[in-house]
Amino acid sequence: MAELRQIAFYGKGGIGKSTTSQNTLAAMAHYFGKKILIVGCDPKADSTRLILHEKAQCTIMQLAAEAGTVEDLELDDVCKPGAAEFDPANTDITEGFIMCAESGGPEPGVGCAGRGVITAINFLEEEGAYDQDLDFVSYDVLGDVVCGGFAMPIREGKAQEIYIVMSGEMMAMYAANNISKGILKYANTGGVRLAGLICNARMTDREYDLSKHLAEQIGTQLIHFVPRSNHVQRAELRRMTVVEFADKTDQAFEYKELARKIIANDLKVIPRPLEMDDLEALLMEFGLEEEVEADAIGQKATA
Amino acid sequence: MFICGYHFPADMGNKISHEQVVEKVTSEVGDISDLSYAVLTSENRDGIKQEDLRVEKGSFLFTALVDYYKKSDIEGEYKMLYYTNKYQMSEVSKAVDGGVTAAVCKKLDDMLLYRVKVA
Repeated sequence: MAELRQIAFYGKGGIGKSTTSQNTLAAMAHYFGKKILIVGCDPKADSTRLILHEKAQCTIMQLAAEAGTVEDLELDDVCKPGAAEFDPANTDITEGFIMCAESGGPEPGVGCAGRGVITAINFLEEEGAYDQDLDFVSYDVLGDVVCGGFAMPIREGKAQEIYIVMSGEMMAMYAANNISKGILKYANTGGVRLAGLICNARMTDREYDLSKHLAEQIGTQLIHFVPRSNHVQRAELRRMTVVEFADKTDQAFEYKELARKIIANDLKVIPRPLEMDDLEALLMEFGLEEEVEADAIGQKATA
Repeated sequence: MFICGYHFPADMGNKISHEQVVEKVTSEVGDISDLSYAVLTSENRDGIKQEDLRVEKGSFLFTALVDYYKKSDIEGEYKMLYYTNKYQMSEVSKAVDGGVTAAVCKKLDDMLLYRVKVA
């Protein structure tokens, strides 16, 4: 049996992490027969809906609250097989499968969402979820690790290789750089490494060039540029991945290629995050930000 | 590191030179003596064809397109080019092919989808 690889998808909120991760993991199972466990680390609990064909999976924190404590739960209660071809029992299309768990979190505005992530991962480990015949465990993590709780998969050395989903927009690049700082912080103690940037493209001018330059400067690679496609939305409306919905489409092949690269990827680095000045210089070089005179900062527009 | 679909091992770092890419693609493409040009077609997001572009034999861009076409398992006469690959081919071609492919590379840098056929 091949060694279990623990990967994680990080990125700015709303960048398309869950969509990108589910489509890519679906391609890994569909085309390459990989056996995968997804651990959603987002209180929204939307990291597995396309694999399960459901609105949202019951989360570990939800079920624990209903049962009393997390110790009252069984693994089967929280870890669900994917629907149709992603079910381990269904080998018609692929030997690969996807199991799904969602950590969940507290009500908005109450408590620490990161604690749900910690509780969930510990529970899954103790109950033997990682001992199954798996090739990959994938964590889908909210936001840009400004909260230590969401850094837990990298802080505790759970996720070994991190893929940052970003785009050529300014805030997505700030977030990618911030996440690199989080990885750097724990690289020596937990062994976590940055494995690449994935550009979930907004199709803005020079987006590839900008993303590639950012990747180069922080010491990693732009592993794949995923174009925007209506097939993604069409598949999502059916609560499906593109790979399952329309596996001969151009977009399905893009995810297949990204899946192939992740499986073969060996470039895992300790990142070199940029200083804010360098990041702004990069944005200016590619036209995302305009240089202003020092005395114009804070001044209103003139009529 | 992945360029033009090829895996360059991690010990080569994250900056692979254009010469290394050319060497890799040229050594892997095989016999292309019976081919003389590649045709690229561009499409907008609605799938409406925009234009045809022809790339003549004798450039890295031609070799890379032939290599892509031969290795691709995408069905059909015209094979969709991954966006990543078209940008990478363009970047290398601009550096090593000079003005020969400049006009085509400028087109490849846009946001349209391209398909390729070789003949």
